[in-house]
Amino acid sequence: MSSLQGYVDRRVLLILQDGRAIVGVMAGFDQKSNVVLSDSKERVYSMEEGVEEIPLGLYLVKGDMIILIGELDETLDKAVDLATIRAEPIPPIRY
Amino acid sequence: MLPLSLLNAAQNKPMLVELKNGETCNGHLINCDNFMNITLRDVYQTNSDGDRFWKLKECYIRGSTIKYLRIPDILLDAVKEEQVRAREVGRNTRGAHAGGPGNRGGRGASTRGGRGRGGPMRGGRGRGRGVQ
Repeated sequence: MSSLQGYVDRRVLLILQDGRAIVGVMAGFDQKSNVVLSDSKERVYSMEEGVEEIPLGLYLVKGDMIILIGELDETLDKAVDLATIRAEPIPPIRY
Repeated sequence: MLPLSLLNAAQNKPMLVELKNGETCNGHLINCDNFMNITLRDVYQTNSDGDRFWKLKECYIRGSTIKYLRIPDILLDAVKEEQVRAREVGRNTRGAHAGGPGNRGGRGASTRGGRGRGGPMRGGRGRGRGVQ
């Protein structure tokens, strides 16, 4: 059985169907992959300026919306200066 | 921790709900169910562009249309503490009534005790416990 249990209390990156990238600590999840993120921040990517981090706090994301969950390598992540990163934002999924 | 237990604990608390179509609803949670259908009171609704607003006294949102909910930070600690407390109570009542019938432990404790008696303390816990 595949499970999200291994991600609990770890800092994770969530990619949503609308192209948003959210990092936060996974506080919990359920059978439908609904996810609770604490201390979460949205990372807004653009080609014009560095990555902008918007604090969001406690978030409950519906499993339907989630495309990807990945564990963040915190040491590596802290070593990166987000202000220097320029990247195309992920476009939303269109049906 | 289960997302739904967090949501249940958020009753009467303010929250922001974004729907899949991008609209948002700001209001206080009245009630919710296991489908994450929710009712909010004193709602400010905005369209997906965020340039038009509506004020609603009350609204119902079907769970399947929700993208995410933004909940007050303090609720996480509140729910965690509550879980610890519930666990303590469970342990105490189980220990006290292991030998005799007794009906003071309440319904929850006695049903659990029934499963737990055969094996070690932890064996009685439901399967659901594995998922935090």
